[in-house]
Amino acid sequence: MANSYWVEPDVKFVRQLKTMGGDTLKKCYQCATCSVVCPISPEERPFPRKEMIAAQWGLKDKLVGNMDVWLCHQCNDCSTYCPRGAKPGDILNAVRGMTITEYAWPGWLGKIVPDARFWWLLLAIPIAIFLVLLGATGYLKIPEGEIEFAKFFPTLLVDLVFVPLATLWIPLTFGIGISRFMKAIHNNAVAEGKAKRNDLNIPDFLKSLVCTIPTILSHSKFSQCTANKDRYLAHLLVLFSFAGLFVVTNIFFVALYILQLPGPYSQANPVKIFANLNAIALLVGVILMISNRLKDRGPNVGKGSYFDWSLILLVLGLVATGGLSELTRLAHLPSIAYPMYFAHLVFVFCLFAYLPFSKLAHLVYRTLAMAYSRYALREPCE
Amino acid sequence: MEKKLGVYICKGCGIGEALDIEKLEKKVPPKVKICKSHPIMCSPEGIELIKQGIAGEEGVNTVVIAACSRRVLYDVFDFGPVIVERVNLREGVVWSHKPEEKRMTGGEEGEGPRVDELIQEMAEDYLRMGMAEAERVLPPEPYKETIDKKIMVMGGGITGLSAALEVAKVGYEATVIEKGPQVGGFAVKMRKQTPSSYPYEDLQEPVIQQIIKEAEAHPKIEIRTGLEVARIAGSPGLFDVTFKQAGTKSKWDIPEPVEVDEGAEAPPQPPDADKATPEDPANILAKDTDADRFGAIVLATGWKPWEPQEQGAAEEPKEGEEPPKEGEEPEPKEEGPNYEHLGLGKFPDVITNVALEEMAAKGKILRPSDGKPAASVAFVQCPGQGTDEDFPYASSITSMVALKQAKYVREDGGDDTKAYIFYQHMRTPGQNEYFYKSAQQDDGIFLTKGDVVSVSQNGDGLVLEANDTLLGENIKVSADMVVLGTGMVPITRDEPVLNFAYRQGAGFRDLDLFDGYPDSNFICFPYETRRTGIYAAGCARRAMGIQECIEDAAGAVLKAIQCLESAHRGVSVHPRSGDMTFPDFFFQRCTQCKRCTEECPFGALDDDEKGTPLPNPTRCRRCGTCMGACPERIVGFADYNIDSIGSMVKAIEVPEDDDENLRVLVLACENDAYPAFDMVGLHRLSYSPLVRIIPVRCLGSVNVVWIKDALSKGIDGIMTIGCKFGDDYQCHFIKGSELLDIRMDKIGEALKSLALEKERVQQVQIAIDEYDKIPGIIEEFMETIQGVGPNPFKGF
Ligand code: SF4
Ligand code: SF4
Ligand code: SF4
Ligand code: SF4
Repeated sequence: MANSYWVEPDVKFVRQLKTMGGDTLKKCYQCATCSVVCPISPEERPFPRKEMIAAQWGLKDKLVGNMDVWLCHQCNDCSTYCPRGAKPGDILNAVRGMTITEYAWPGWLGKIVPDARFWWLLLAIPIAIFLVLLGATGYLKIPEGEIEFAKFFPTLLVDLVFVPLATLWIPLTFGIGISRFMKAIHNNAVAEGKAKRNDLNIPDFLKSLVCTIPTILSHSKFSQCTANKDRYLAHLLVLFSFAGLFVVTNIFFVALYILQLPGPYSQANPVKIFANLNAIALLVGVILMISNRLKDRGPNVGKGSYFDWSLILLVLGLVATGGLSELTRLAHLPSIAYPMYFAHLVFVFCLFAYLPFSKLAHLVYRTLAMAYSRYALREPCE
Repeated sequence: MEKKLGVYICKGCGIGEALDIEKLEKKVPPKVKICKSHPIMCSPEGIELIKQGIAGEEGVNTVVIAACSRRVLYDVFDFGPVIVERVNLREGVVWSHKPEEKRMTGGEEGEGPRVDELIQEMAEDYLRMGMAEAERVLPPEPYKETIDKKIMVMGGGITGLSAALEVAKVGYEATVIEKGPQVGGFAVKMRKQTPSSYPYEDLQEPVIQQIIKEAEAHPKIEIRTGLEVARIAGSPGLFDVTFKQAGTKSKWDIPEPVEVDEGAEAPPQPPDADKATPEDPANILAKDTDADRFGAIVLATGWKPWEPQEQGAAEEPKEGEEPPKEGEEPEPKEEGPNYEHLGLGKFPDVITNVALEEMAAKGKILRPSDGKPAASVAFVQCPGQGTDEDFPYASSITSMVALKQAKYVREDGGDDTKAYIFYQHMRTPGQNEYFYKSAQQDDGIFLTKGDVVSVSQNGDGLVLEANDTLLGENIKVSADMVVLGTGMVPITRDEPVLNFAYRQGAGFRDLDLFDGYPDSNFICFPYETRRTGIYAAGCARRAMGIQECIEDAAGAVLKAIQCLESAHRGVSVHPRSGDMTFPDFFFQRCTQCKRCTEECPFGALDDDEKGTPLPNPTRCRRCGTCMGACPERIVGFADYNIDSIGSMVKAIEVPEDDDENLRVLVLACENDAYPAFDMVGLHRLSYSPLVRIIPVRCLGSVNVVWIKDALSKGIDGIMTIGCKFGDDYQCHFIKGSELLDIRMDKIGEALKSLALEKERVQQVQIAIDEYDKIPGIIEEFMETIQGVGPNPFKGF
């Protein structure tokens, strides 16, 4: 403890955090009730009390590179018991948002994705790309006859957009973000003495990563919370249906390009049934999430910020347009089905293209942080 | 006065079931005019029964009521001028003892006296003791003098002026004495004051100007500036105050006391006081005929900033110690933390909160070194290096001031100005919490607990280092200015201020008991100081803010008025409010030993050239300490004296030749210990039936002759139970229990010479809420006494 840490409060960071849903952060008076009631916090150097004062003092480097904030599952037990209404759960959520922004590459995108003022721009980008693509290839019209989306938006054009998005854009941007993030949390853990080892050994880390997956899939951390336990089911549904849809997309990709079987597929196709089930699960999950967030949990539990809501609404838009385009296709309503499909593709684009910058990135950041925590604390696999 | 006793025994509240009342009645001697019992003595019929005895042909003038404790129903059993003596059969006997038909040891078939018989004996003893006391007390008569009801307010700050206004508003006259050239005190040097009304978040314009205007305009208030008190003589209702120009000398100044060794018995005496003539001002009893007369005094002399102890540098080397060699810095002393490590005096930009306030009142907050606006200011609370040494003087004031001044910093600078507050404690009681919250809400105010260990120069700024912060580590911050939060030290700590022409000295005594504050009991009796008639308010009493000072002033004024009116009616003001008795001295037998003068906790006694005590009844609080101190046993009160208690002790029947049926006398202070015994009964706890309890006004009033009498009578053990003494004393009369403790030390020697064991006499300290400990304490003492065996003087 001999060395002193030179503190330079960053007032701007405090203000940013406040706009990201951390507007109550200054209320904390450091009683540490939150750290005591948090079901997830470790015994040594527990959170979120220390994160609260770091947030008040605008100590960015103590927050954005802090793995602890990712161990938090925002169950809000802390916020429920906080005697000051400082909403530590919300603050950590805001810090996570700030972390995604901080390590994002390119930086400007990282800044506009969480900024409520630019929602239209984010939607305008794919719309513009699609219109240009369709216009240039002469497709920009409602096709006649049997509804077939490929007639409106050729699969090749779709893939021309989505394949590079998935294979180049995401790996590149996310890769940079992730490596910055990993470096930061490692350095922070070592500097603050939270890690039991000071090296970063990739094979060991991967081992920890592998055994973290079951924890995530089972949501076992999530289920330790009490204040808003119902969020557990919603989150589980969304996570699994997303995973299901991911699998389905890959199967169709293989079917199309390797097995040369273009759609539309029969509704009796088992893969199709699985896809529809997942879509329904996702819809149910998202609606549950929305109703959970809107539920009145007393003055201490926040209802989320733009950062949270933009993702939820995006997913809602995604399932809604997907479902509606399929239903209207079956109902032979081309004037609705095609625009719906267009909208659906816009949302899919948004989901993929902004993945490293939106709240969805937490899927990866949290997984890595949980794995790192296990690694750094030398916790064995169960 | 010829005593005509009437004894009335109540059978209610379980007394009748537990005791054999007929047997008890038989113990009443035939010379008692009336002896009656009633099922419920406090009922209208019971009261009527007593009244008949008083009004009837028997002409009872002294009523002995054997019923409940004297602490209850005193208003029901009030028969005007008739002496009323209460015998505590309820709480003291039947509620605290079960009359079982078993033996002391080993149950029904066991050995020793039967428990129910012991309890009957207990009741009989108490009845005898009550009658004995009733025979020896007289109805009190108040001591009346013509008094003056003007109130002097010392100090013309916010508290003093508010006090004067309170005095004037209720129709009394006030004179404000201010040392400085004008009134207003520190309050006029403030920019803003902390909020006093909803929502308790924003700083307020100071109210002082308004108060000054009101006070100056009030016809019942006289304000005199540039004056100091040279001497205060006399007593409540009759204070003679001599003023002098501030900073000058006067012939009426109280002479410096000669230094006395600690532990010496004689009080500090001015030089040649004994030789001075009654007219010579060097004699503190000399009367200044030009003095102003006041009835009571409100002490509002305020505070000065707290400073930690000086470090050893200036001190003379002690004997036997090597003087420091040339060129060598003397070793810094362990116990003397100061501001040196924080750079006060070394760096111009390190200032105190007092200096910052004055700066802020005049204009913007600028760095003293270069006059540039301060972009970051660090406030350091408790600058005593983590010791919390200023704790007694910080109260909530240093916290509130730091929050207030942090707001100034943010007000004066731009949006990016920073104010840091490092605290050991953040105390914002009551509504002040809202103020704390509002300061916290400011993005530019950064708070943490932490121990600031150093301030150093860095370029043209300062760097502050703090350990053990809430940030989880030791940190450094750079700041343009550092402000040290100093507490408020009452002026009374270091200066006599009031300059009493009292034998016990010019200032307050035993100041170390309360860190220099003049209170006589801070918790139970706010405003009352160790000198009757002087009521402290505002920062003289505790570090506090403007609003609290205003409220405090009202409290002290109410006390001062109570004092005037009590003096006017010739009764005690407090804590025995309304007590008409006062100590009477049988001077013919006085040996001029001055013990009473010295021991009186309130300096009520002066003495003449020969050393004979000169009582000042209106200064007296009727504690009885003088009576306990007097070796000649010549001090007493009409209803409480050596004889009245002595006769109670003698009225206890001590069984002879019985190794089991021992007797233990308990002298219990009526403020805490005796009520605690009542509570033992109330809670149906139990203690040995071999104990006899006599309430006393204060352990300080216990005269050792009672102990000697008891021992020579054959009583096996004696316990004195009183309030805690020492640092956090709870004694109502400051030092009563401590004084008895000292007296008892001496009695230890006497016991030895009589071949009696020291263990037979024991003193215990107890608080009123510790009643549940009493049975254990008694049991332990009984075991001790059984261990040393029966008193060999039995039967002599
Ligand atoms: S966030 Fe709330 S519970 Fe946690 S330390 Fe701050 S005030 Fe206490
Ligand atoms: S939201 Fe839940 S997991 Fe996160 S810090 Fe609070 S109690 Fe812990
Ligand atoms: S009764 Fe107490 S206050 Fe009065 S003179 Fe005696 S010692 Fe002093
Ligand atoms: S203690 Fe008794 S003997 Fe001594 S001075 Fe006082 S009154 Fe006189």
